[in-house]
Amino acid sequence: MAAVNAIEVRDLAFAYADGTPALRGVSFAVAEGECVGIIGPNGAGKSTLLLHLNGVLPETPDGSGAVRVFGAPITKANLYEIRRTVGLLFQDPDDQLLCPTVGEDVAFGPRQLGLGGPELGARVTAALARVGLAGFEARSPHHLSRGEKRRVCLAGLLACESRVLVLDEPTSELDPRGRRGIEALLASIPATMLVATHDLEIVVELCSRVVVLDHGQIVAAGETVALLSDEALMLAHGLERPHVLRHRHPHE
Amino acid sequence: MRHDFLDRYSRLASPVHALPAWLKALATLTLVMAMAVARPSWWPALVVATALLVAGAWLSRIPAGFLLRRLLLLEPVVVVVATLALWQPDGGMRFALLVARSTLSLAALILFTNTTPFGEVLELLRRCRVPSLLVTVLALMYRYVFVLVDEAARLQRARASRAFSRSAARSWRSVASGAGQLFVRSSERAERVFTAMCARGWRP
Repeated sequence: MAAVNAIEVRDLAFAYADGTPALRGVSFAVAEGECVGIIGPNGAGKSTLLLHLNGVLPETPDGSGAVRVFGAPITKANLYEIRRTVGLLFQDPDDQLLCPTVGEDVAFGPRQLGLGGPELGARVTAALARVGLAGFEARSPHHLSRGEKRRVCLAGLLACESRVLVLDEPTSELDPRGRRGIEALLASIPATMLVATHDLEIVVELCSRVVVLDHGQIVAAGETVALLSDEALMLAHGLERPHVLRHRHPHE
Repeated sequence: MRHDFLDRYSRLASPVHALPAWLKALATLTLVMAMAVARPSWWPALVVATALLVAGAWLSRIPAGFLLRRLLLLEPVVVVVATLALWQPDGGMRFALLVARSTLSLAALILFTNTTPFGEVLELLRRCRVPSLLVTVLALMYRYVFVLVDEAARLQRARASRAFSRSAARSWRSVASGAGQLFVRSSERAERVFTAMCARGWRP
């Protein structure tokens, strides 16, 4: 039997309540341990697609099997199991960090899973150390830099031991140092990852495969370097050939 | 932008800050209850309470001016309410007692909130079995009031940099539209925060 895909999306369609179609017939799969990039212009439907991957959208899971996580369709019954498996990193860390202190925030996810006591404390400490913020437990999220906020968000996902990480613009609005830090951190996490981003440089660094989304449809998919080197395709969908590929030596 | 206007000194290192939150909460509650039932003949109790609070404030190393300003901010409410007592028999006495009792209670609460980080207060409420929904709402309020203030400041700055008119009517209009915008932005944020909460496994 072939290995079950971590994420499998088959013919997924979605329209917002006002009738605006956001996704049309989207199909792709992510194998366990793989890192896949989702790129496309603003408004292409990237964020909407990500919200489907752990059952935030549609608002009531329909069990249609359009999205399968490790082979299981998302239903009302397994919704919390799915949310434990698939961790979502939101674009704006201020939306995600909802507790008064960093420590409590990292504990939020595991607490929902029923964890408590010393085990919870150990997980929080370990997750914060993992993202390079050991000892930040008592700090207020509001007083952190954007890069640090992102790290805390990631620590929150790591503390849940999610097997799949779905990241929405993990490097947006970061200074080069913050961006590099997040990139190195993501590269060191062994989980299955899906990264939606405009930062094509990190796609080249992190992702082996790329899916190009435009107008709610997948317009191209394939191996990262080959796809991102296709200048005509990139320009047609509001993207560009990333610099790292322009300067890469042929015999490198 | 200052984000610590609410509890600037709650994380100082002092003997009072170091006390466990439950002890401070219990002491505060006891003092407030005692003030609530105090009779005129109990004036020594008022003196003792005052002495305790002054000692606590002094030990906490919080600048006295800060605590007094906080107290003064709330004092008008106390005085207005206490004024009603003036129309009763023996009004002056009742008025003075009411003001003294309320002021001491307020001072105790101000001292408590400024020597205990809000996170510890929430933890205490949780341990006292306060409904978790209520604790969550309090936590969210505390977390997002700062985000909201930042957002308001950004809107205000953007407006100031584009406003060329000194007309008061126009400036009021722009304040009104700013308030409207802030409301819309907050409600959108609320929606996104709720989505994020759900994504992180929160069960409504």
